[in-house]
Amino acid sequence: MFIDIACSQKKKYNQNAYGDYFSSNRFPNMNRVVAVLSDGLGSGIKANILACMTATMLEKFMENHADIEKSCEIIMNSLPVCKVRGISYATFSAIDCYEDGKAKIVEEGNPDFIWVRGGEVLKPVPQIIPSKTFKNRRMKVYNITLEKYDRIIFCSDGATQVAMGTKRYPLGLERSGLVKIILEKLKENQNIASKELSDYLIHQIELIAPNRELKDDTSIVSIYCRDPRETLIFTGPPYHQEKDNFWARTFMDFKGKKAIAGGTTANIISREMNIPVYADLSVNAGKLPGLSKMEGVDLVTEGILTLTKTLEYLESGKTENNAAKTLMDFILDSDVINFLVGAQMNKAHYDPNLPIEIEIRKNVIKQMKKVLEEKYLKKVNVQFI
Amino acid sequence: MENKKITVRVCVGTTCFVMGGANLQELNDIIPRKYGDKAEVLGSNCLGLCSINWEYSKAPYVKIDEDVVSEATTEKVLAELDKKIAEQSKE
Repeated sequence: MFIDIACSQKKKYNQNAYGDYFSSNRFPNMNRVVAVLSDGLGSGIKANILACMTATMLEKFMENHADIEKSCEIIMNSLPVCKVRGISYATFSAIDCYEDGKAKIVEEGNPDFIWVRGGEVLKPVPQIIPSKTFKNRRMKVYNITLEKYDRIIFCSDGATQVAMGTKRYPLGLERSGLVKIILEKLKENQNIASKELSDYLIHQIELIAPNRELKDDTSIVSIYCRDPRETLIFTGPPYHQEKDNFWARTFMDFKGKKAIAGGTTANIISREMNIPVYADLSVNAGKLPGLSKMEGVDLVTEGILTLTKTLEYLESGKTENNAAKTLMDFILDSDVINFLVGAQMNKAHYDPNLPIEIEIRKNVIKQMKKVLEEKYLKKVNVQFI
Repeated sequence: MENKKITVRVCVGTTCFVMGGANLQELNDIIPRKYGDKAEVLGSNCLGLCSINWEYSKAPYVKIDEDVVSEATTEKVLAELDKKIAEQSKE
């Protein structure tokens, strides 16, 4: 089971800083995701600071399995006190979940989370922990077990209170209204990705708001437990030539999406599997060799130049429109990325006469693994062959 | 007798590409315009020529039917192609 998590936010109308803050971290080795959504008191910079402090601190506490009650006391004591209201305040919703389904949810002040399973909303019973030092502050703690295809939605009160005071929504959209929108959307598109759902909900909320002007910062966090989208990328000729056939077969038998990064690699698979490969000159764009086409393979690119550029794009976040961008999009569209890296060297690449320096494939892939894990929170497996 | 269409294969393998093959992309526009249906341009993954006999410094390579053009430039390829078409019309 893979936990697909996404957050979409809109600022309060006329503010230039978000008053809600979302912080999340994925631990691929532990199959674990920790996420916190916090809503700071008021709006603008002040709220942003309160929410940001709350979310980042709480996230760190939860990561380390600190006692939640104590953590919250520490956070509340360390938040700056609002001059206008004389209190320090930031509400939050936090989740610590594992891919086996075990999940702990802690809420304070935010609307109750929405748990959808098979088109129905579940109603879990929380354990309520009142704050010892702060009156009227109660935490709700849920220990639940998620199943595949479950969805969890967190939101800030901006979402449930949108359009409050209008004829149609005297009390705002309310949680029930939000649930209705969610269930309708899920009926229409059962497998919608988390990001798509959260974007959709934020957009709907904006449409409900009078003049489309939100009166409060609004955030939606969407979590979807689903099958991981797996990708296999084959790059470089295998070191032992006599095993070409085995690896070509392994590659073609892979169930998820497949890409080949390497002209010679593509030639080898083409030869072993007897599937023709066409280099497509017409889609040749930019300073990189273009794409090739091969039946049964989703993407075929040139090897080391494209990979080097893709790594650069992944690191900087800046892209140009070329084969490396295509490969980057292909990679980022997956949750688990497997690399089969052939260790055979191409002597021609190390000719000192070449006008540019060509990196060693192994190193590029190693760096790519690092950036995909650390920056993009992907699971990456690399096998050298 | 109708003349056979001549195939121009431009290698877009890594070595050829960095050694100047990138500039050969313009053949893609020039050849259909200049020769119509007498010749066609195709891309090709590594032709394997760069790793034979340590001759790789002669990249980029282009294959016109079975003839190899090494250290190919647009001008060189077009000249070879002209020669080939002239020969064909003689036959």
